[in-house]
Amino acid sequence: MPIAADSLIQVSIKAETLFTIGPLQVTNSMVGAVLASAILLGASWWFLRGASLVPSRFQSAVELPIEWLSGIVAGSTSRWRSYVGLVVGLFLMILIANWLGVLPGVGTIGLVKETQAGKELVPFVRPAAADLNFTLGLALITFVVFVWWAVRLHGPIGYLKELAGEPRYMAPLMFPIHLISELSRLISLSMRLFGNVFAGEVLLATMLALTTAVVFVLPLAFFVPAVFLGLELLFGFVQAMVFALLTMAYITLAIAEQQGGHAESDQGDHAPSGAAQDASAPAHS
Amino acid sequence: MNSNLAAGLAMIGAIGPGIGLGIGFSKAMEALGRNPEASGTIFVPYILGLALTEAIGIYCFVVSLILIFTT
Repeated sequence: MPIAADSLIQVSIKAETLFTIGPLQVTNSMVGAVLASAILLGASWWFLRGASLVPSRFQSAVELPIEWLSGIVAGSTSRWRSYVGLVVGLFLMILIANWLGVLPGVGTIGLVKETQAGKELVPFVRPAAADLNFTLGLALITFVVFVWWAVRLHGPIGYLKELAGEPRYMAPLMFPIHLISELSRLISLSMRLFGNVFAGEVLLATMLALTTAVVFVLPLAFFVPAVFLGLELLFGFVQAMVFALLTMAYITLAIAEQQGGHAESDQGDHAPSGAAQDASAPAHS
Repeated sequence: MNSNLAAGLAMIGAIGPGIGLGIGFSKAMEALGRNPEASGTIFVPYILGLALTEAIGIYCFVVSLILIFTT
């Protein structure tokens, strides 16, 4: 069965354009991304205003997961201070963007547009990660950062040597394979996040459509979408975690290959002091 | 009609990652059962392994989505 335009399940694979400013098409997933970053910025500003050295109960409740994540990052390499901000920032951004999707009204309130296929709902806000542009952008940041780390520590020649592989005579075969494996990280990072979040959207829409059909017979059927909403909270968290941890793992791989050689040659090294380790240690347990 | 059939067939590829995720999860639980103190050490490689395994299933899903929505 083709998906009819007037069916209850209305999910489009690409973000819909709300309006255009010059050459810029403002889509509803851009609204979602801007909303998520505004929430993140506002919350962090408000949180930092009231933060004190001796944390209150609320402050330590917020700091605990962040300290736990930075504790994991601190265990990766000795240069963890240079990229812990990126990893935690990616985690928070994706987490908020994903959890926006389960708010009531997101994806359901919008304009009804007349197309040649029939009526179509264009929601005002779409969860940002349900658009490949957003996830590809984040994956590009990760990609640039880990290639930059490899080039910075090995030099451009060293990075190319790394790609060529160990037995030099195998280089014509191994170089394309390594190149593809580097690029496939970009694809798999973006596709994983997009696929999961979009699948969640489709799942929610399907469950809602299925249960509205039977809710006149079984009023309890409204609990079924609620269960899946709860599941979406879990998936949103796990996917944000996975993206942040994979970013960390790729940067660690780019760095740690160097550490057997001459790790101490770089002068911009922030070796973790004892105090820094202690600060993150209690949350790590 | 044909593209929807193809989309359904493409999701057959989700069998493999499903089995793989099951094996990974069961091994992690086994390790946790043997050594409950190691949960912190197991967690990160476990999540990464599951994510890498799951990516294959997501590829199938994306292929079938493309088949449904773009043809």
